[in-house]
Amino acid sequence: MARVLKLSELWRTTTVRLTALFLLIFVVFAVLLLGLIWWQTTVSLQKSQTDAIDRESVALQRIDAEGGFRATIIAVGRLAQQPGPGIYYLADPSGQMILGNVTDLPADVLADPGTFSFNYERPRPVDADENAPVPEGNALVRSVQLESGLFLVVGRDVVERRGYTAIILQWFAIGVGGIVLFSLVAGVLTAVRVLRRVETINATSRKIMSGTLSERVPVTRRNDEFDGLATSLNQMLDRIEQLMQGMKEVTDNVAHDLKTPLTRLRNRAESALRDGQGDGAQREALETTIEESDKLIKTFNALLMIARAEAGTPSGAFSELDLSAVVADVAELYGPLAEDEGLELVAEVTDGVRLNGNRELLGQALVNLVENALKYYEPVEGKPGKIRVSLRRAGPRVLVEVADNGPGIPAEDRARVLERFVRLEKSRTMPGSGLGLSLVAAVARLHGGEFRIEDNAPGVRAVIELPGLA
Amino acid sequence: MTHIAERGSDMKILLIEDDREAASYLIQALDEAGHVTHHATDGETGYAMGSSMDYDVLIVDRMLPRRDGLSIIESLRAEDNHTPVLILSALGEVDDRVTGLRAGGDDYLTKPYAFTELLARIEVLARRSSPAEAATSFAVGGLNLDRLSRKVERDGEAILLQPREFRLLEYLMKNAGKVVTRTMLLENVWDYHFDPQTNVIDVHMSRLRGKIDKGHANPLLHTIRGAGYMIRE
Repeated sequence: MARVLKLSELWRTTTVRLTALFLLIFVVFAVLLLGLIWWQTTVSLQKSQTDAIDRESVALQRIDAEGGFRATIIAVGRLAQQPGPGIYYLADPSGQMILGNVTDLPADVLADPGTFSFNYERPRPVDADENAPVPEGNALVRSVQLESGLFLVVGRDVVERRGYTAIILQWFAIGVGGIVLFSLVAGVLTAVRVLRRVETINATSRKIMSGTLSERVPVTRRNDEFDGLATSLNQMLDRIEQLMQGMKEVTDNVAHDLKTPLTRLRNRAESALRDGQGDGAQREALETTIEESDKLIKTFNALLMIARAEAGTPSGAFSELDLSAVVADVAELYGPLAEDEGLELVAEVTDGVRLNGNRELLGQALVNLVENALKYYEPVEGKPGKIRVSLRRAGPRVLVEVADNGPGIPAEDRARVLERFVRLEKSRTMPGSGLGLSLVAAVARLHGGEFRIEDNAPGVRAVIELPGLA
Repeated sequence: MTHIAERGSDMKILLIEDDREAASYLIQALDEAGHVTHHATDGETGYAMGSSMDYDVLIVDRMLPRRDGLSIIESLRAEDNHTPVLILSALGEVDDRVTGLRAGGDDYLTKPYAFTELLARIEVLARRSSPAEAATSFAVGGLNLDRLSRKVERDGEAILLQPREFRLLEYLMKNAGKVVTRTMLLENVWDYHFDPQTNVIDVHMSRLRGKIDKGHANPLLHTIRGAGYMIRE
């Protein structure tokens, strides 16, 4: 990896942010859950304590009713001596304490019997230091007046109960803390991993932006979503590089092939102006000038058409069309011309071949092929010249062919003639822009097909292979 | 340009074009051809003139200051103004042409163009408002073409034509006395919009000529040098 990840950078990553968000949600829910558990525990503990208090209170009332105040004093005295959270207090009808393990009851506990909760001082253990602070307690008590007239207070020390919930809380906190910590570590690790993959893509982008268009995003063997992305990106880069290459070729060729005729045009106009040879010569010069500029416009239009076809026209320009009719039309259009040139143009068209495309561009491509065949045809001794225009199906594909039985193109030149402005040496003297076949190739590509030139032995067979209508 | 003199019918034309040099050249050339041209240099003025005055043909540049050429045509058509419109544009791709014609244009010419091409097109366009479009038969000299029975005869003698030759002759006769260019023929008879690099149209024309003019003292089908073809007595 080219750079070390900084913490701030890490925080900006989606993974870490998502982890943090989930963590937050988790903690909120954990706290809510904890609250619920705590509340439930408190309620049930409280209920068991009040139940115990009620039970003891009822039992002591029965003892009092059956055995009189002496039995009550003995029973309460015994209970009060047991260690534990129990609180017991017995007072005579005047409110004077008889016995118990608490001393400082609030006055209204006896004045108005019922259920009370209050703070009190726990009795110091017998062996405790004199100077030790008096432990503070919280009591839940129930007071009743017994049949014998005595006041009985039964209760529980609540602090014990609080200790119990504190333990639950503590373990819960440890659990939540652990999960938070684990999630954070996992989140950061994932973020670092993801960031590293993204960073390789970024690094490639930066290299490309700085001018190395041949750079590609590395693809691992994991075949995950990042590899999918990298593969798509690389395909896009291939296409861009191809377009850039095409662009460069065009500018180079425009410089060469458009500048030459422009210079010629200018020279001719200049010399016509200088010579002053009279109207006839000037008129002729002007006519040639117009002719030359028309040729230039044609070249220019062809270039624009190729550029548009290669850029891919909007699908609006595509419609379902009858390719058989297009091929038949072109064959019919050029039949008489071929005949005049002493060639036979044969059309072998399979009927009803339909596909999605641009009729105008497909027609133009086919016209270019037929015009090429006518233009470059040279009779081979003893054989009648023949151009065959055909359309047929080959499985799911559709083949459009223009074949002749002329001298053909040498194998080593076949790929080269598809390039823009490339004209083989012997054809340099012929009219034409050298863009015809490039347009055919661009149109084939635009329709998702391909264009190739094959040996017709003898002659040339130009093949446009297109995907048929599914 | 010999054919210009043969045209008697002068037209009233509105040219909406912001390029003053191109416009003044066009106005002069149209004037030499015997037509009166009004000129607007921006879309708003052009629209105002087009909707308030009566013209035989409008020539509208597609990209104009203040108001787009296509929107002018759409507004005029919405007002039930059906003056023929020729769209001039530097955008010459198939889809541009389709949008132009869909907006209500009648013909589309890509810049740069030859003046003869423009002249031929507007003269044919102006014809559209006349009943020739709906006629069921045409007659030029002794040549008769029946669009319903698809029969052609000259001086009572039947002529057998291929379907495409029939359409070719039909288009020429519909525009009898007007120049039709090679690209116009390719567009209207074959429905292709490109400049053929070869003399493919001429070959078809010479075959047609062989069928209708052969053996007759006065030819009807004329080649107009530097422009195209014309059928006339």
